[in-house]
Parts: sequence; structure tokens; C-alpha cells
Amino acid sequence: MGVGRLMHRWTLAVLAIAALTGGTLVGAAEAQRPTPPQPPPASEQPASPAQAAPPPPSAPPAPAPEAPSLPRETVHADVSTRRIAVTSTFSGTGIIVFGAVDNSRQTSAESGLYDIVIVISGAPTRLVARKKSNVGGLWINTSSTTFTSVPSYYAISSTRPLDEIASDDVLKSSGIGFDFVPMTFHRSARALTAAEIKEWRDAVVRLKQRDRLYQQDEYGVAFVGRSLFRAAFDMPATVTVGAFETRVYLFRDGELLSTYTTKLDLEREGLEHLIHRFAFDHSFLYGVFTVLIAVGAGMLASYVFNRNKA
Amino acid sequence: MNIYLPIAEMSANLFLFIGMGASVGFLSGMFGVGGGFLMTPLLIFVGVPSAVAVGTEAAQIVASSVSGALAQWRRRNIDFKMGTILLAGGIFGSVFGVEAVKALRRVGQFDLFVILSYVAMLGVIGTLMMIESINTIRQAQSGAATAIRQRGQHNWVHRLPLKMRFHRSKLYISAIPPLMLGIFVGFLAGIMGVGGGFIMVPAMIYLLKVPTNVVVGTSLFQITFVTAATTILHATQNHTVDATLALLLIVGGVIGAQFGALAGQRLRGEQLRFLLAAIVLLVALRLAWSLVAHPDELFSLTALGRS
Repeated sequence: MGVGRLMHRWTLAVLAIAALTGGTLVGAAEAQRPTPPQPPPASEQPASPAQAAPPPPSAPPAPAPEAPSLPRETVHADVSTRRIAVTSTFSGTGIIVFGAVDNSRQTSAESGLYDIVIVISGAPTRLVARKKSNVGGLWINTSSTTFTSVPSYYAISSTRPLDEIASDDVLKSSGIGFDFVPMTFHRSARALTAAEIKEWRDAVVRLKQRDRLYQQDEYGVAFVGRSLFRAAFDMPATVTVGAFETRVYLFRDGELLSTYTTKLDLEREGLEHLIHRFAFDHSFLYGVFTVLIAVGAGMLASYVFNRNKA
Repeated sequence: MNIYLPIAEMSANLFLFIGMGASVGFLSGMFGVGGGFLMTPLLIFVGVPSAVAVGTEAAQIVASSVSGALAQWRRRNIDFKMGTILLAGGIFGSVFGVEAVKALRRVGQFDLFVILSYVAMLGVIGTLMMIESINTIRQAQSGAATAIRQRGQHNWVHRLPLKMRFHRSKLYISAIPPLMLGIFVGFLAGIMGVGGGFIMVPAMIYLLKVPTNVVVGTSLFQITFVTAATTILHATQNHTVDATLALLLIVGGVIGAQFGALAGQRLRGEQLRFLLAAIVLLVALRLAWSLVAHPDELFSLTALGRS
């Protein structure tokens, strides 16, 4: 088992290189893998309804008929960059998520046997949503609701549109899709009707989408071999720093087979990090410092320009 | 070249902010005004959160008024006694203004309040300046002599208690009007991100009858210290001072002001005032439009921090 794990790690590393170099090494990487059992033709896979229909009344729940012969597929993944630093010139960044389906029964990248959904979500934040209405000719914030937890960033990428991959119930239970982004309302929102809750949720998703903090790419995940897949994500500069979670879901015929979670950190670094920390941790000193900068700059400017005149 | 502003939490082009600083600096150099009342709305137009615009602009005004205040001090044009009373009132008003910003942000009405205040203030000032400059231009054209304002020897200001002697201004008046004026201007500094010279200077000339040569120095003295206090108050109470943004605006502003001062020498006073009035009214109209036009998006989000 230990050797298998190591072997697997090593394979992933090779796959990672393959993914990062644009997939040109995929063939070589695949060749290094221990050959999995030959997948049977797709038509043989599901047990026929006639066989499954009359279960022996006293027998314990029978294991899936394919279990002994075919190991269950699992999914593994990693991200191209685990730590991203927000610096003064930060203008957003790209992240590549790559992974592999173990025990893949696909014959090629194009078989479409599996569906992959990748969700990257940022640290949950509290926020207030406000709605304007017209009061005497002016557009004024008149109602608001507080969320105690909303992912600061939420990006979905999948092999095809979500409604073709799985039913709403499955998607909902895993929090996949803009309709099922996990959000919790403050208890003051208990009196809201279902329609109002939907309106507020949709507003959050819409506004976050406008800022590119919520994104969806329905064909963003591509298989580059029988088991290897990759997807690219981008993070705008306005993204909230913190811990990000990347969850990878493996589906076959609408059934969730396996999930895999990996972390990614977005940190403020350099001068920005210092300024932000300074402004919040030592706000009085920060204020004094800003004033000193302003006084210094004002006096320097008058000195420089007066000398030029003289 | 994009730069990330740590407090405004936005990424924007470095030269946009330097350019804005330079443009407003040019206007303030040309017209001899502070420019805060133009810069704050401009920052809001380009997407800086209004509270950050107000807090950061206070820091920029410190930079643009400190050298003027020093120059006036060297020429002994500051009435320190009057200035100290204006300053004491100013700091009190600023504390009040910064707390008002905090309270209004909590209930989600700060944007509305700041825009309404600017529409009212710029609308009134722009209209008055426009009327005055048109009258002056007309009178100049018709050759009529400008009526010299008859200065009343005594007005209500002189009947108030707590009289003090202001040697530099050669005045013996109550301390209450300068204190109230200071409070009002300080409140505006806290809530709108302006120095308030455009209110303080006329009020000192017409209401307090301070000699004109002392007015500018004394108001610059007050503005420098009040905006410095306002910057520190916003930094501690609201965390809305972006030092990076302030520095960019200052760099643009000091360069623009030099060229503006040169350009101002070539234009005549009434033409200048007409031009400034037109700019002020345009900004007021643009702000008013943002309140009455049907918004593309009725909803807005305000982050409250980590869950």
C-alpha cells in the first residue's frame, strides 16, 4: 500500500509537469502508470434491471456486481500554485487545476464517460446586501439583509453544463452551481419568504459575477488523456485574500463517484501586506504616518519648485 | 501599469490617479482653491468607495496646504489666536463628522449623504460664482464702476459675549463666531473630505471682517491641522485612509498645481471664476444624475469581514 501510494504520488508529479507543459508529455506519463484492468465495453457496465429487481428478502445488501472485478474510480487533483502573493502590482492571477481519475475505464480523452466538476471557493465572509428603491425621485437604499457567510470567491468549471451532469438534488447536496452556493443568512432574515431569499441570493451571485469573483465555465475542464484532466481559472485583483478550497467531483451517469479537496492560499505580501496590516493593527500610528508622508511630500514639492524659480 | 490599493481594495492604473491628482492640482493652482471638493467626487466616479475617497482626500489636502501655510507663516500672515480658535472648533467638528461617517456607513446611507451634500454645496457655490462672474464681466463691458461693498461697522457678530482682542487682525470680537465657523468647517472636512477654505475665507472676510492679508494664511493654518486630525481620525475610526492612493494624488497634485499657477497668471479673474463655476456646476449635475437616473443594478454589497 505504501509503495502504491508513493508510486501514485510520483505519477501525479509527472502528470503535473505534463499538465503545466501543455500536455505534451501526457503519453509518456500514461506509459509510466501501472496498467489498470482493461475496462469493459460501456454497455456491460450497469447491471440489468431484471437481475437487480428481485433481491433475496433476507440477504444483506448485495455489493455492486462490478465491485470485485473493477476497482472503484477515484479522483485526485492539485493546483499549479499553492500560495499566491498579492503585491502592489497584483492584477489578478491564473491558476491551473489538474488531476487524474484512478482506475479510469475511459478508452480515450473523448469518450465522455466521466464528468468532472471543479469548484474553487474562497474564505467565507460576512456581507450586507442592500437594495435601492425610488423614494420621491431619488434612488435610495431602502432594504438590506445580512449574510453571515458567503464565499468571497466561487468558480466552477466542468466538462459540460451542470444540468447535463447530475440532477439538482445531487448538485444541491454538494453545493455545486450558482443556485446552490452555500450562503447563510443572519437570523434577522428568518422572516423572508422563499422568493425574497432567492432574490437576495441571486443579487449576491450577480454582483459577484460582475466583479468576476463568481465565475462559471461550462466546458472549462478538458480531459487530456484517458485519466488526466485540467482546467484553468482566473482570479481578479479584487479577490479577498485567505484560504481557498478546491474541490473536484467525479461523476459518471449522474452519480457522484468520488471527490477530492485541496487547499490554496492567497496572501498579501510585500508593501501592500505591510500597509494593510499597519492600517488595521496600528491605526493611530498609520494615520500619523500618512499625515507625515503628506507633510513631507508637500514641503518637498514647494522646496523643489521654489528652488527652480529662484 | 496597474497598482493595487490596499485600503480601497481595488486595482487601477497608476497613471489614472496621478493624472487625476495633476488635473485637480492644475485647477487648484489656477484658481487658488484647495481642490478637495473636486477630487472627492472624481474619486467616487472612478469607483473608489466614497468613505475611502473622503478619508484619503483629507490626507491629500494636508500636503497641498502645508507649504502654503508655511509660506504665509514666514510672511507673518497668520493670526495665531484666531487660528487656534478656528482650529479648536475644527477638531471638534471633525470628530463629530468622522463619527457621523461611521454611523451612516453602518446603516448604508453614507453614499447618499455624501452625494446629496456635494450636490447642495457645489450647486450653491457654483451658482453664486456663476452669477457673480457674469455680473462682473457685464459691468466691465458696460464700463460701470464696480460698486464698493459698504462695510457695516457693527453687525450681529459684535453683539455676542466672550469678546477677545485679536491683535494680528486688529479686531475685538466675540470668540463664538470663529469657534462656530471652525466647527462647521471641521465637520465638512470629516464628512466630505474638503478643506473648507471656500466657506471659511468668505466667512472671515464678510462676517468676521478679518483683514484680507491675514485671511488666507489663517485659514491655511487651520486647514492643515484640521485635515491632519481628520486623516488620523478616519484612519482609527473607519480604516478608510489609503496611504498609497494619497501619495499618488499628492504627486500628481503638486506637479499639476505648478502648471496651474502659471496658466492662472495669463487669464483674467472673472473669466477664471466663470470657468471654475462651470466646472463646479458640471460636477454637481453629474452627481445629481447618479441619484435620479434609474440604476442598472438596484442591489449593492458591502463586505463586513471574515465570517
